[in-house]
Amino acid sequence: MTVTVGPRLQPRLRHRELGLLVIAVFAITIGSVSLALSQRQAAGEPLLGNGGPPLASGVALAVYLGALFVAHAVLVLTGRRTDEVLLPTVGLLGGISLLLMERLPQDLAGGLGLGTTQLVWLTLSIAVITMIAAFIRSDAWLRLYKYTWAAFGVGLLLLTFVAGREVNGQRLTLAIGPLSGQPSELLKVILVIFLAGYLSENRALLVEQSTRVGPLRLPPLPYLAPMVAMWAIALSIVVVQRDLGAALLFFVVFLLLLYVTTGRGSFVALGLVAFVAGGAVLYEVVPHVRTRVDIWLDPFATASGAGYQVVQALHAFARGGILGTGLGAGLPEVGNLPPGGIPALHTDFPLAALGEELGLIGVLAILGLYLVVIERGLRIAASAADDFRAILAAGLSLVIGVQAFIIAAGVLKLIPLTGITLPFISYGGSSLLTNGLVVGLLIALSDRGAEPPPPPTAARGLRRILDRGAP
Amino acid sequence: MTLGGSLGGTAQRNAAGAPVRRPGIGATLGRIGLAMAVAFGALAAGAGYWQVWRASELSSAPDDAAVIAASRRVVRGEITDRDGERLAWSAEDENGEPYRVYLSRSLSGVVGYASRAYGTAGLERAFDAELSGVTAADPVQDLLKKFRTDPSDPQALRTTLVASLQQAAIGALDDDSGAIVMLDPRTGEVLVLASTPVYDASGIANPATSTATFQALVADDVGRPLLPRATQGRYVPGSVFKIVTAIAALGSGAVDVSTTFEEQPAAEADGLLVSGFRVRDGHHSKTGSRAVDFIEATEVSCNLWYALAGLETGGDRLVDWAAQLGFGEPLPFDLPTAASQVTGGDGPAPGGFLDDVELASAAFGQGETFVTPLQMALVTSAVANAGVIMRPHLALSFTGKAGTTTISPEEWRRVMPARIADQITAAMVEAVNGDLGVAYTTGAQVSGLTVAGKSGTAELGGEGEPNSWFIGFAPADDPQVVIAVVVEHGGRGAARAAPIAGTLLAAWKAWAGR
Repeated sequence: MTVTVGPRLQPRLRHRELGLLVIAVFAITIGSVSLALSQRQAAGEPLLGNGGPPLASGVALAVYLGALFVAHAVLVLTGRRTDEVLLPTVGLLGGISLLLMERLPQDLAGGLGLGTTQLVWLTLSIAVITMIAAFIRSDAWLRLYKYTWAAFGVGLLLLTFVAGREVNGQRLTLAIGPLSGQPSELLKVILVIFLAGYLSENRALLVEQSTRVGPLRLPPLPYLAPMVAMWAIALSIVVVQRDLGAALLFFVVFLLLLYVTTGRGSFVALGLVAFVAGGAVLYEVVPHVRTRVDIWLDPFATASGAGYQVVQALHAFARGGILGTGLGAGLPEVGNLPPGGIPALHTDFPLAALGEELGLIGVLAILGLYLVVIERGLRIAASAADDFRAILAAGLSLVIGVQAFIIAAGVLKLIPLTGITLPFISYGGSSLLTNGLVVGLLIALSDRGAEPPPPPTAARGLRRILDRGAP
Repeated sequence: MTLGGSLGGTAQRNAAGAPVRRPGIGATLGRIGLAMAVAFGALAAGAGYWQVWRASELSSAPDDAAVIAASRRVVRGEITDRDGERLAWSAEDENGEPYRVYLSRSLSGVVGYASRAYGTAGLERAFDAELSGVTAADPVQDLLKKFRTDPSDPQALRTTLVASLQQAAIGALDDDSGAIVMLDPRTGEVLVLASTPVYDASGIANPATSTATFQALVADDVGRPLLPRATQGRYVPGSVFKIVTAIAALGSGAVDVSTTFEEQPAAEADGLLVSGFRVRDGHHSKTGSRAVDFIEATEVSCNLWYALAGLETGGDRLVDWAAQLGFGEPLPFDLPTAASQVTGGDGPAPGGFLDDVELASAAFGQGETFVTPLQMALVTSAVANAGVIMRPHLALSFTGKAGTTTISPEEWRRVMPARIADQITAAMVEAVNGDLGVAYTTGAQVSGLTVAGKSGTAELGGEGEPNSWFIGFAPADDPQVVIAVVVEHGGRGAARAAPIAGTLLAAWKAWAGR
C-alpha cells in the first residue's frame, strides 16, 4: 500500500461537495425536528419550548454532521481532484439511517443502545471513506496481488463455513476473539478486486475467442473455469451458510462485470441459465430455499406464520401511503410483538419502516440516492485510465447498487426475500465499514490527477500458458 | 445516462482474419447503467403498487397492525339500526380503557363482537377500520387526515337492520338452530340477518368475563353458536331450490308455463324411473293422475315435473343460471359468505353432475345441492325485483367528524327478463294462497298482505327430522320485503318455517306501516 502524505499536499476547494452537503444536512436536520415533534406529541409534552429546541437526540446529530464536515475538510486539505457527489449522497443515506435507529426501540442492540451504536459505526464508516479517499493514491496493491486477495477471500469463506456462528439458522457471523463480523460483507469487496484484476488481464482473450456449441458462443473453454467456480461458490454459500442474499449478490455482480468486460450478452444468458438451473435444484433440495420461494409466491397464505415478516412489511408500506405517517409516527414497534413488529426490522427491513414513515416519496428519494451512487460509480469507471480501474470502479458501484436492489425488491415482494443489508441504512458495523471502504475506493479511483496505471504486462497468466502450448 | 468513455471499442480479428467489433467498456457501462435504472424503476413501481394501489385495502384490513392497535385504545364508533336505535356502544373499564356493550344477544350473528383478547367478528370485523377510525370511508378524507393533529376519527355505523324485527326473528326461531334473512329487494338493504343459537357478545367484549365466555362458546361444538348461519351455514335446500330450477328452465326456454310432461301422471303412483332411480312424489292424493303445468307443479311442489324440467334444461344450463344467481362463489356482501353449490361439480355429465339421477334430484333440491340462507334470499329477490338482484348490504352510512358518507344501493346482476319473474311470482302466489298450495305452505298468509312464497322440506338422509325451509316476498304485486327462513330439523316446511315467515311478515307490515 502506497500512502503518500507530504509536501505535495495543496488545499483545493470543493464547492459542489460543500453545496450538496449543506442540502443533506438541511434534510437531516428537518427530519430530526419532525421526529422530535412527533415524539413530544406522543409523550403529551408541549411541542415548542420546555426542554430546548425540538431536535431528536441533538448530540448524536451534531456528532454525525460534524463528522461529515470534517471529512469534507480533510478532502479539501489534501487537494485531490476527486468526485464531489458521493460523500454528500452517502452522508444523506447515513443520516436517514441515524434518524431511523434513534427512533426504533433502543434495546435492539445491547450496550450503548441502537442509535448510539449506529452513530459510532456511521462515524467510523465516514472516517474509512475519508482516509481511503484522501490518502490512497496507488492501486498497485490491489492490482498485483489479485490471486492473493482471492486466496484470502476463499480462506475467509471456508473459515466461516467451519467456524461460523449460527444465528437464526444462518451461518454468517465469524467471531475472532472480541471481534465479530459478517465476512460476506468483506468478501464482496475482495470479489470485485479479484474480478477486476482477472477480467482486465484476460479481456482481450475473452472478447476475441469463443467456443461454439451449437448456436451458442461460449467463452473460451479455459476461461469457463472461473465462471463455473463462481457458480459453485455461490451455490455453496447457499447450501452451507444458507445466505441467499450474499450468493445472489456475488453471482449477479459477477455476471454484470463479465458483460462490462466482454460486451457479450450470450455469457450473461449462459450464466442466467446456470443460475436458474441451480436455483431449481436448490428449491427441491434445500428446505430453506423452498420456504423463501413459497413465502414470496403467497405470503398472505401464511400471514401469521412463515409469511408474517413479509406481510407486516407490506402492511407498513401500505400504511405509509404517498406521504407517510411522519418520522416517529409509524408502528414498527419491534419490541412489542405483536402487532406490527417486524422481526429484523433494523437489519433487513429498514426500507419498510421508512416506507411507512416517509411514504412513497421517501422511498423514491432513497432509491434515487442509490441510483446516484451507481451513476457516479459508472461515470468514474467510464473515465478511468485503464481496464482494471474501469472494471474495479464499475464493480464497486454495482456491489452497492445490486445489494440495495436485492433487499429492496425482497421487501417489496418483487423477488423472494433474502436477508442482506440495505447499504448505509441498515444497522450493523460490518456492513457500514465495508461499504465505507467501497465508497472510499470509488472516490480515490475518480482522481483525475492520479498517477498513470502501470504499462500493461503482455501475455501473462493463462495467456502465456496457452501460447506456450501453441506450436 | 451518457458516459463519456475514454476506452474505445476494440477491433479484434477472428480466426478468418476479418475484424470483429466489440463494444468498448464505455458502451457496455452505459448499458449496465440503463439496466440498473430500469431495475430501480421496477422498485419504484413496486413501491407505488403497495403504497398507492393496494394501500387502502391493506391498511384498513382487520389484520393490519394499526387497525389492531387502534382497536385497543380508541373509543369505537357506535353501531345503530336503520332507525337510530343503538346496537353497540362503548363503556369504560376500571382502567379507563374502552370496551364494547351490545343491545341484545339477538344481534350476535350479524354485529359480532370486538374484544381486546379475542379480536373481532361480524360487522365489528368487516368495518373495523372505519369503526376504530383508522380509515375514513372516503379516500379524500383519508388523505386530509394526515394533516390533522388527531388523525384517528372513529366513524359511527348506521346499519340497514331493524332491531325490533331482528329480535322478533330470534324469538320466532326459539330454541331451534336456524337462520332468517329479510331484505328489501329494491335496494338490497338487509333488514334482518338472524342466526341461532345466539351468544353473549357483550360477555366476550367485557374484559372481566371475556375468557370464560369465549372458551365456553368455542367448546360448544354441538350448537356451534359462533357460526353465523345466515351467511355461512350451508344447507340442503329441498323444494325451495325449485325456484332456481324454474328460473333456469323458463329463462333458458327449455320449458314454458304451459309445459306438461306425459310421463308424469302415470308415474305419480309408483314414482318416476330415472336411470334406474325412482323419483317419488307426495301429492297424488290431491291431484290424482292429471298432468300438471308449471303453476300447478309449483303449487303442489311436484318433484316429478321439476325433475323432468331439470332434465329438459340440462346440467350445463342449470349450473350456469344458478351461477348468475350467485352460486359457486362467495356473495358480494359486507360479511364473509360461504359459496352455495348446485352440485359437487366433479362428475362427468354436463355441468359437473355425476349422472341424470343427480341432475334430476338437484332439480328439486336434493342431491349434492347446498345453499346459504342469504343465497336463497337473493334468489327470491331476483323474482321479487323483476329479475334484477341488488347488491345486498348492511351499511347504510358512516358518520365521523368530517360528516356523513352514505352507501347507495347498487345493482348487482340482471338475471332474467321481468316477464319470467312475473310468471314465477304468479306460481309462488298460488303456492301460498292457492286451494292446493295452502295445504303445503300453511301459515305463511298474512291478513291484508299478499304473500308469494315456496316452502321446502330438505331430507337429510338417515334418521332425524328434515330441515324446514320457506322463501317468499310481499306484497306480491309490489314486492318490498324478501324473507328466507331455515329451521334445522324443523320438520316439513309447512310445519315450522312457513308459520315463522307469516309471523315475521306481519311484524314487517306493522313496522313498515308506522
